[in-house]
Amino acid sequence: MLRTVILMRELVRMYIRTKVEYPGAMVLGWVSQFVSYGAVYTAIALIIARFGMLGGWTWSDMAMLLSVHLLTYSVGASFSFTQFREMEDLVRQGTMDAILVKPIGTWLYMVFSGFNIGYAGHVVLAVGLMAWAITQVDVAWSLPTVLFLVATLVSGAMVVCALMTMIGATALVWVRSRHLYSIFFGFWELARYPITIFPLPIQVLLLAVVPMGFISTVPVAVLLGKPVPLLGDFAGLACLLAGPVMAGLAMLHWRWCLRNYQGAGG
Amino acid sequence: MSAIIEVSGVAKTFRQPKRLPGMGGALRSLFSRQFTEVRAVQDVSFTIAPGEAVGYLGPNGAGKSTMIKMMTGILVPSAGTLSVLGREPHAHRMTNAAEIGVVFGQRSQLWWDLPVRDSFDLHRHIYEVPEARFAENLAFLTSMLGMADYLDRPVRQLSLGQRMRAEIAMALLHDPKILFLDEPTIGLDVVAKDAVRKFLARINRERGTTIILTTHDLQDIEEICPRLIMVDDGKLLFDGELPRLRSALGSRRRLRLEFGTDPGPINLTTARLVTDDGAAKHFLLDSEDTSILDVLTELGNGYDLKDVTLEEPAIEEVIRTFYQSKPQLAATTP
Repeated sequence: MLRTVILMRELVRMYIRTKVEYPGAMVLGWVSQFVSYGAVYTAIALIIARFGMLGGWTWSDMAMLLSVHLLTYSVGASFSFTQFREMEDLVRQGTMDAILVKPIGTWLYMVFSGFNIGYAGHVVLAVGLMAWAITQVDVAWSLPTVLFLVATLVSGAMVVCALMTMIGATALVWVRSRHLYSIFFGFWELARYPITIFPLPIQVLLLAVVPMGFISTVPVAVLLGKPVPLLGDFAGLACLLAGPVMAGLAMLHWRWCLRNYQGAGG
Repeated sequence: MSAIIEVSGVAKTFRQPKRLPGMGGALRSLFSRQFTEVRAVQDVSFTIAPGEAVGYLGPNGAGKSTMIKMMTGILVPSAGTLSVLGREPHAHRMTNAAEIGVVFGQRSQLWWDLPVRDSFDLHRHIYEVPEARFAENLAFLTSMLGMADYLDRPVRQLSLGQRMRAEIAMALLHDPKILFLDEPTIGLDVVAKDAVRKFLARINRERGTTIILTTHDLQDIEEICPRLIMVDDGKLLFDGELPRLRSALGSRRRLRLEFGTDPGPINLTTARLVTDDGAAKHFLLDSEDTSILDVLTELGNGYDLKDVTLEEPAIEEVIRTFYQSKPQLAATTP
């Protein structure tokens, strides 16, 4: 265990050092993310200001939803997105072989050798927005609600990381899997809005097929005491279980793909 | 000595989607995908003892890299049994990895943007090399491979030769029992190739590290590996020492005799005249058992002999002959 912690620290240190080699690009990346998300949120705020509510959600409810959405995504993606997006290149160029001959868990190496501090801009924006939204929403904050919020943030980040892992792992067998991220980000966009505004088929997709509903819209609906279609009273528990269940599925999928890895030739 | 690597009846089959020709074929394959089975390695068996240096040779697509990948635990064999240091490599991938070193000629394991030393430090943590041993190995490898000047330079600024030396050094920092090298000299200039070959031969000789290398460059085999395993179409064609291969193909040694004056036609039973340039005559020694002494004894003292040159057949020629005659030889070699 201690060795794993030391290795994680060393891998993250190496990655940060590579990023610091290009400090201008790093800072510019943070600023551009901050600005682009700020623009999207401003647009949503203007729509709500014009129409009053969105599916029964006020601007402060929406601010809570957007902040949870961004925070779970940025934490989950910092452990997975750039790492697994590069997976098909690693497979095609044979670099994956060089990782597989190291006496270290392949997933652990992938995740921590690419731990992306570039999401700092996302995190700053999400935490700032959440700090404001917490004071505005109609929630009687108590220890259980705070613990529920923290647990669902962790669970949501696990859902993101698990889905990214599964898409990346698919490249081990199919060689190309990057196109699956388009599907991921399609549902990720939908998870920015209250689930009740969507027709039933999309609700089913968001809860059961690509369970992005659990990274934001479902846990925030539970916190705010709003109805959750299909799940009802089970929604809170489902939010807490979604992360571990998806992580388990991702682990099985990852192992199966590693066992069936063929390389890309040679 | 008991084998460090045992390969018995190993096969590897890849399942690849069948590509149908033309646009229509491409569209059809979207709906009814057909697969073909590519047999990259077929029923290959050999054993390798500790301390051996073995060259794994074959043309492109012969299954060399696939075999290396199976021995290093990257790929799972489709059939047969494979044991490296007493373990099944894929089932014990991490334990196996801790005791082997792997160098890929065309893929870097170094961190591109960071100094070489940083990659080495990370390697120390991953392989849990004690600090004192790490320092000792680093000093030895730095001096042997002449890396002192660029140890603190980012990898992206190194030449290919410098990078390859760093790759090899890194693969040896944890004292692996076996060093696998996949095309280690590919793309290197003559000087860099020579440095790498000399170093690998010395590591094998002095540290007893078992070396298995795949290569297209026959000079690598000649200078590093006394033993040669040749494969083609996934099948093992030859396993033995280079002189045995020469012998199996019939000796092609060339003998050049230079006389003070043209002695006229010379017919010998021990050597066959192939070129007659008057004072210089070229013979082929057809039998491995024939020595220069045999030829000179038969020639006798009645000639004004000035110089004698014996040329071993070039390894390229031996291999070319081998592949040209492989259907006949395949049945006779182990």
